[in-house]
Amino acid sequence: MFRTGSRRTPDTGPAPEALRLVKVSKTYGTDDSAVTALDDVTLSLGRGTFTAVMGPSGSGKSTLLQCAAGLDRPDSGIVRVDGTELTGGSEAELTRFRRGRVGFVFQQYNLLETLTVAQNTVLPLKLAGRRVDRRRAREVLTQVGLGDRLGHRPDQLSGGQRQRVAIARALVTEPRVIFADEPTGALDTRSARDVLRLLQEAVRVHGRTVVMVTHDPVAASYADSVLFLADGRLAGRLDAPTPDAVAERLAHLGDDMMAGV
Amino acid sequence: MFMLAMRSIRQRPGRFLATLLAAFLGAAIIMTFNSLYDTAGQSGVDSASADTLTTSASVVGGYGTLLVFFAVASTLTVNVRQRAAELELLRCSGATPAQIKRMVVGEAVAVALVGAVLAIGPAMLGGQALLDVFQDSGQVAESVDHSFGPVALMSGVDITLVAAAGAAFLAVRRATRGHQQRGRARKFLAYGALVIGAVAVTSTFAFSATDEALMATPAYGAILLSVGFALLAPRLLKGVLDRLPLTGASGWLAVRNLRRRADHLSGILMSLILFTAVSLATLYMQGVESDAVKASGAVKSVDAKNLETLNFTVVGIIVVFVCVMLVNSLYAATTYRRRELGQQRLAGATPGQVLATVGAEGLVLTVVGLFFGTVAALAGIIPFTVVRTNSVLPHQGLGIWLAVVSIAAAATLGTSLATARRVLRTPATDAVALAA
Repeated sequence: MFRTGSRRTPDTGPAPEALRLVKVSKTYGTDDSAVTALDDVTLSLGRGTFTAVMGPSGSGKSTLLQCAAGLDRPDSGIVRVDGTELTGGSEAELTRFRRGRVGFVFQQYNLLETLTVAQNTVLPLKLAGRRVDRRRAREVLTQVGLGDRLGHRPDQLSGGQRQRVAIARALVTEPRVIFADEPTGALDTRSARDVLRLLQEAVRVHGRTVVMVTHDPVAASYADSVLFLADGRLAGRLDAPTPDAVAERLAHLGDDMMAGV
Repeated sequence: MFMLAMRSIRQRPGRFLATLLAAFLGAAIIMTFNSLYDTAGQSGVDSASADTLTTSASVVGGYGTLLVFFAVASTLTVNVRQRAAELELLRCSGATPAQIKRMVVGEAVAVALVGAVLAIGPAMLGGQALLDVFQDSGQVAESVDHSFGPVALMSGVDITLVAAAGAAFLAVRRATRGHQQRGRARKFLAYGALVIGAVAVTSTFAFSATDEALMATPAYGAILLSVGFALLAPRLLKGVLDRLPLTGASGWLAVRNLRRRADHLSGILMSLILFTAVSLATLYMQGVESDAVKASGAVKSVDAKNLETLNFTVVGIIVVFVCVMLVNSLYAATTYRRRELGQQRLAGATPGQVLATVGAEGLVLTVVGLFFGTVAALAGIIPFTVVRTNSVLPHQGLGIWLAVVSIAAAATLGTSLATARRVLRTPATDAVALAA
């Protein structure tokens, strides 16, 4: 069902490096009101890893995610997703770049209210002009625990259920990297746990790469490693994180600024 | 609450622009025609002139009131629907339903009042111009002076205010409550309009070819039929969508969007159907009538001329008014979709695909609106032509139809695509965040 994306199945040749950023900078606004959201960020994430990006508000977490995912263009620097360089160009080009490589999970779900659960799930395939395999879509939805909600509309679902639809939508295109922007930000602890387990499963069982922006130490502890971001720069890394260690580190982020990772 | 109403208007004048425009245009039309009553009521106006003036005023005044009500109601409904989140916020911060109702109605009345006051000047000029038309064609004595008096002023302001207050009241009640009962009343009205329209159209056959009032029943019949269709618009749209084999991602999405949003789109469809039916019926019937008079070699009577002037004025006004309303409501509806279109983009739609989806939706709307408008118009045109000339279809050809169709299509597709393009300029991530 899922391509396991590992060494055993050589599909179109996934690169060993799922995501690479080289000296990526992004500034918003002009002149006096200019804010540097990303300042020379360089990082590399291997395939099949689950990474959380943390930092205080305004540290550039979301900008990092958007630049890495091809939702926004960095001012300078190189972004490579699955070994392919994201080259500037129009929104249409960026969209086509994302389609095959990247899946998204947002805090506000961003499901289309006019479509049912099943229709929302296959929408990216439809838009990309790919064959829609309804059986597979149902499999994915069953996997996230929504096999019996195919005909429901988003407004008939709870927040946790909506987020699981969003995860199914991100999985169905078999992307190399899944970007999650505060995926549990609007959920109660139980739904949040379900969502995080699903993301974990995507990595461990199906070999996807997940990058998750969060401000919740508990959510971050589900990841394999945590990258800390402060004032647009990388400020440390924590492997095998526990909630307490993450919270501790976060609390002293200002003190122990480290250069790069 | 009244203070809050005033403040919300002052802080965000933009969002009241649609309502203001509807109130302004509506009030201008009503005042222009009702100033003919004032003119006719002056001392020293001969009875023939007074007759012409009052007839015009009553016929167009009736239309005008109906149109204004439709227009103001539809813009206000859209306005209230788009503010659901704000109204919810007010409710959470302790506003009672009655207070919210007062605020929305207060805003609507204030905006309508501004619109009506702004309309006074243009209406004076319009009334003067209208009188000139009647005088040039010799239907009204040259000695008659235009007068803009209490009838014009009172009717214009009152109708606009009542329409605005009533529509706002209904819209906010609908927003704060479910909308089950409305469905039944609407259905009742729709079928009523269809039945009376059908009766009116059929009764054309009871007249003889040379009856003065021959045109009245099929014209009103056609308009009533189109009102009936317009009220049933959401259901008609759903019926059409079920039989639509649109392919491609954009087409697929368009059909699903339209089906879910059918109720929201009824205002736009209503404008389209009314526009098509009224302009087609009037233009074709007037064409048939003029040809028939010419063929018989008779000189047009003053009444016949009156009717012609009136018909063309009515069509002109309706074309302009409904077109503006169509553009107005389409603009508001498409801008409101900023977030939804952003979500499409985040799900992997290129800007081209988003535009294609919006375009496909516009095309379906246009075709459905034009189809039912044409059916309603034909229902009036055919009986009239049969009785008047013994042929079934008018000999005017497809030219008028094509002109009407192209105006409608250009307005609908042009507005939705242009607005969608503008909406697409915001980055998708911002578009999604804005309304969140």
